Amino acid sequence: MKSFANPPISPALVVAVPLLGAALLAAARKILNRVAIDALALLISLATLCLCSTLLAGSIHHGASVYWLGGWWPRGSMALGIGMVIEPIGAGLAVLASLLTFLALLFSWRFIDDGSKHLQPLMLIFLAAMCGFSLTGDLFNIFVFFELMSIAAFALCGLKTTEPAPLQGSFNFAITNSVAGFMILTGIALVYAVTGALNMAQIGLSLGSRHDPLVLFAWTLIACGFMTKAAIVPFHLWLPDAHAVAPTPVCVLFSGLMVELGLYAVARIHYAIFDQTTAAHPTAFHNILFAFAAATVLIGGVMCYAEHHLKRMLAFSTVCHSGLMLAALASGGPLGLAAMLTYLLAHAFVKSALFFISGVLLHNRRSITERELFASGRQMPHAKLLGSLWIFGAVGLAAAPPLALLLGEAGAEKAADLHNLHGVAFVFIFGGALTAGAVLRVGMHTFFGWGDGTLSDRAADIGELPETKPENRRIRAYHIIPPALCILLAIALFAVPGWLHTLRNAAAAMANQPAYLHTTYTGQNVPLTQPSWLHELPGAAVRGGAALLLGLLLALSSVFRNRLPRPLRTGAFLEHGFRPLRIIQSGHPGDYVFWLVVGVSLFGGASMIFLR
Amino acid sequence: MPAILHLLPYLVAAWLLLCGLYGIVTSRHLVHAVVCLAILQSSTYVLLLGIGFRLGGSAPIFADISTSKLVVDPVVQALMLTDVVVEAVVVALLLAMVVKAHEKSGSVSPNDLRTMRG
Repeated sequence: MKSFANPPISPALVVAVPLLGAALLAAARKILNRVAIDALALLISLATLCLCSTLLAGSIHHGASVYWLGGWWPRGSMALGIGMVIEPIGAGLAVLASLLTFLALLFSWRFIDDGSKHLQPLMLIFLAAMCGFSLTGDLFNIFVFFELMSIAAFALCGLKTTEPAPLQGSFNFAITNSVAGFMILTGIALVYAVTGALNMAQIGLSLGSRHDPLVLFAWTLIACGFMTKAAIVPFHLWLPDAHAVAPTPVCVLFSGLMVELGLYAVARIHYAIFDQTTAAHPTAFHNILFAFAAATVLIGGVMCYAEHHLKRMLAFSTVCHSGLMLAALASGGPLGLAAMLTYLLAHAFVKSALFFISGVLLHNRRSITERELFASGRQMPHAKLLGSLWIFGAVGLAAAPPLALLLGEAGAEKAADLHNLHGVAFVFIFGGALTAGAVLRVGMHTFFGWGDGTLSDRAADIGELPETKPENRRIRAYHIIPPALCILLAIALFAVPGWLHTLRNAAAAMANQPAYLHTTYTGQNVPLTQPSWLHELPGAAVRGGAALLLGLLLALSSVFRNRLPRPLRTGAFLEHGFRPLRIIQSGHPGDYVFWLVVGVSLFGGASMIFLR
Repeated sequence: MPAILHLLPYLVAAWLLLCGLYGIVTSRHLVHAVVCLAILQSSTYVLLLGIGFRLGGSAPIFADISTSKLVVDPVVQALMLTDVVVEAVVVALLLAMVVKAHEKSGSVSPNDLRTMRG
């Protein structure tokens, strides 16, 4: 019976350790002092990091394996128990989650002084949910971890209850993401009604190539639910409100990984379950996803440039980059998936670094809005280091060398070429230029003090209360190390691209439904390979450089707007933003749910018409 | 049994879904919005139970009935129970936020909560 290759350690541990740790911390927070709680939380996240790394190493060296909770192995094709599939991609995401959580907890050492000590247990619950989410092979289990992740996120987002804005952001976040969760559950219920299964491999097996309206409806609900988490337009409206108000270490986890996990779930579920469903009309399927991706990049990029609240600006940049990742996925095939995951990994580090630095600005300069920060970054300690890290972040967002986002961009372009999908390169240049431009503009204003004064907007003028006590404004090593490490990692991933080989082949296995089925049922690895795309790098570097140059020109035309003739003031024009886009971002949960329904109708309608 | 009765649970689920969505979209009261979310979720309860229902099936407890007897699907009932737990947590958290919002601004209208927009 037991022919399964066992993972090196029980994968249930990577969920159990942070969860039990969170319970322990929550129980002991009245007794222990702040330093002990911080140290314990760091220790637990470090332990999780080690466990996840063991799983990842095992899955790379010995191939994928499956762990059935409670020893409920499948009988024939019937998967009775809950399976966790340990393959390099899921395990790699779990490693990324625990690494980012560790850095975020390190950054929050003695941070957010409201004394309630709720942050650390919630972060650990969030970590447990993210690990479980990336490793599970069971559709309902994905929903459970999705909800656990969401609930921890709602609480983390509204942690600063001394201000009204966090309540608004957290309430909107909770309402839209709960509606998304129920859509996913309805989709899962419909899938169960059709197939009688909850294990993804078994569902894929019994669904076959059915593409009747019921199956397409279920796909619509599940995809739109996860795309709400992934902040794809028009499901993205909650994200800027939530990011602008969440504590900085929490923003790092939101933007760095939580949003992207939504896209991971879309990819995982599509390839494991609905692969044959959409196989009849591959072009239409890619075009639908690409249309949503392009709209996301457009709106995210334009709104990003129009924001002057640093965290909100970075939040819109996350929307834009989430769109770019969906564009990579929509370019199709295992290559598109590998490109998306490469981009995801690099983006997680770059965006985390940018959020960490804005957290340092809020800590030391006591403000987060571009107007108040004008020229003030120069006066703080380590200004040169922080400024150059910030600029490196901008270079990364444009997907220019030497940061690893370039690798993802090259892969997406290659995949699009293979599938005759046009416009992917243009979308990447557009999104990269606008987001890099916005980050460069803030860098020039804040760290260089160039230009004369900044524009502002309504959301920015609300501002944000600092997260630390006013008498303690020193910048410590634990403020500098996380962003520096993130940028260094993003550069190292580019400089030593040997890991790409593993990711490429793991993505080939993930994108291959029969391989996934085989792994789930036999616990054995299916060795698959796909060709390298590194020869595309020079072309991608030129495009990334062009995006960076455009962003730089845009930022300069914003900063020196008063010295330019009126027709050349492109940056200032974009900085004012577009009224309809600002109106949509109304801050009212009802409006957000309305747009969510519109998005589901569009996606569902397009699927029904073009995928039948 | 007429076909309409087989369809009834699904129609009820769809009706609850639409009611919940309409309620959230038009809500002018935060507590009202939270309750509408709960209604939206009850549609998933009805849907899950409707999917698992077998005409003439008994409760899926095999202690005192033969294992060959027709029972309703226990899996969806387990899913529904998980769903109930999720709802309890979400609603509790949201209501706590509403209480906080009322403390801060003295209002329970989503319009007064909006400090950040645009």
